[in-house]
Amino acid sequence: MEQVRYFEDIEIGASVETPARTVTEADIVRFAAICGHHEALDFGRGDEGLPPAAPDALIMVLTSGLGFRVPVPQPQVLAFMVMDWRFLEPVRVGDTVHCRMRITAKRKLKEGGVLVEKREVVNQRGEVVQEGEYKLLVARRPGSS
Amino acid sequence: MPQSDRQYFEDIRIGDEYLSPGRTVTEADIVAFAGLSGDYNVLHTDAEFMKSSIFGERIAHGLLGLAISSGLGTRALPRPFATLAFLGLRWRFKAPIKIGDTIKVRIQVTEKRETSKPDRGIVVLQRSVLNQRGEVVQEGETDIMVERRR
Repeated sequence: MEQVRYFEDIEIGASVETPARTVTEADIVRFAAICGHHEALDFGRGDEGLPPAAPDALIMVLTSGLGFRVPVPQPQVLAFMVMDWRFLEPVRVGDTVHCRMRITAKRKLKEGGVLVEKREVVNQRGEVVQEGEYKLLVARRPGSS
Repeated sequence: MPQSDRQYFEDIRIGDEYLSPGRTVTEADIVAFAGLSGDYNVLHTDAEFMKSSIFGERIAHGLLGLAISSGLGTRALPRPFATLAFLGLRWRFKAPIKIGDTIKVRIQVTEKRETSKPDRGIVVLQRSVLNQRGEVVQEGETDIMVERRR
């Protein structure tokens, strides 16, 4: 089996569910260390009786890698071009999220091709907590025209 | 932080502009971000493969640049916004960020909208991520919900 998929190999329409990931305090600490969001480390600040909310951008980051864990060869991504994203509901420590991904459009370019991927982040109760779209530049199969 | 140290919807003016301090993006940031996100794409983790790529070396994850710039944004504001929620973003990754590059973020207030609720409003910020040569490597808009004064 080939290790990667090229622009030509990718089909529009099929929806893929990724493995899930539980959001932990450790993720919030690591995220703060990388990007400097230290206000998120005030774990006592949260809403009454509820676990602390994760920074919205952290959930965007944690779910960006989930697609790589789907056991199929990965698209040969050359560049991440555009991201449109909406934050709908808070995600809290202890919540478990996964992604529902679907390719909605393909456009062939001279070098490579663009894939439009719609993504929804879903929690353990089936609620969509974040959603949006990635536009990715993907390699064409070598020798294709 | 005392409430008065924050900028409420009424205090924020269209055209307000801020520039953050710089931050050098290191190999350690990229390795740590790969571990956090689970994105081990060769673009970010395989130095040998990337020698023969158009970039010539590993590049930072696009979302790493976005995450660092959001943290820099908090350091750009002398008084933080009274933010209630981060609503969304529209973002373009325009050029690679390489190991050793130093990035800053420039923030401009471009739009303010009232909502049906009298205690809050929406503010749109245009953000540009600049490298040490002044090139815009990423840019976009973020929408935030901000408290009004009562």
